[in-house]
Amino acid sequence: MSITADHLYEILGKYAESQGNQLNSDREFVLDIIAGLLKNEGRYGYRSCPCRLATGFKERDEDIICPCRYKDADIKEFGSCYCALYVSREWNAGIIPRMPVPERRLPRR
Amino acid sequence: MKKVTLYALSTCPACKKVKKFLDGNRISYTLIEVDSLDGSEQWAATKELSRHNPQVSYPTVIIEDVVLGSDIDSLKAKLQ
Repeated sequence: MSITADHLYEILGKYAESQGNQLNSDREFVLDIIAGLLKNEGRYGYRSCPCRLATGFKERDEDIICPCRYKDADIKEFGSCYCALYVSREWNAGIIPRMPVPERRLPRR
Repeated sequence: MKKVTLYALSTCPACKKVKKFLDGNRISYTLIEVDSLDGSEQWAATKELSRHNPQVSYPTVIIEDVVLGSDIDSLKAKLQ
């Protein structure tokens, strides 16, 4: 049986806290991202980043399986990950200006 | 008249935000939902997108001017 969006929300929230981060305080936005993660899990077999195009080949998408390899660097520099799923406390509190996070991943060949 | 093309992913909240903006402002556009395309079509769409945005990130909006008819002055102005 597949996981529900609400259950995944709870798990991701605990994971974020364990990393010293938070989920985006906009619950609807997070649930939208979770819907994308679950859609990708259904079609690829893994929860690749919903904000990036996956190949469907796990070995080529490993860096963009959520949480992606770029999350920590993005949160450190911009206060949020590329998708704005994981954010810092300061970002949620509005202390850090919110801006689109530039893509850190190199384009695929 | 400008031709607007939105390259998006069906799973991406930022793409939905841009779609909502375009729809809300009654801007007609061509939507290319890249992750919903089949293999060869997806390859072609990505290739085309990379001409405009080498980072191939989503959403990408391409806004191009369109010149209708044989108005050479308009054509010259758009090409400058």
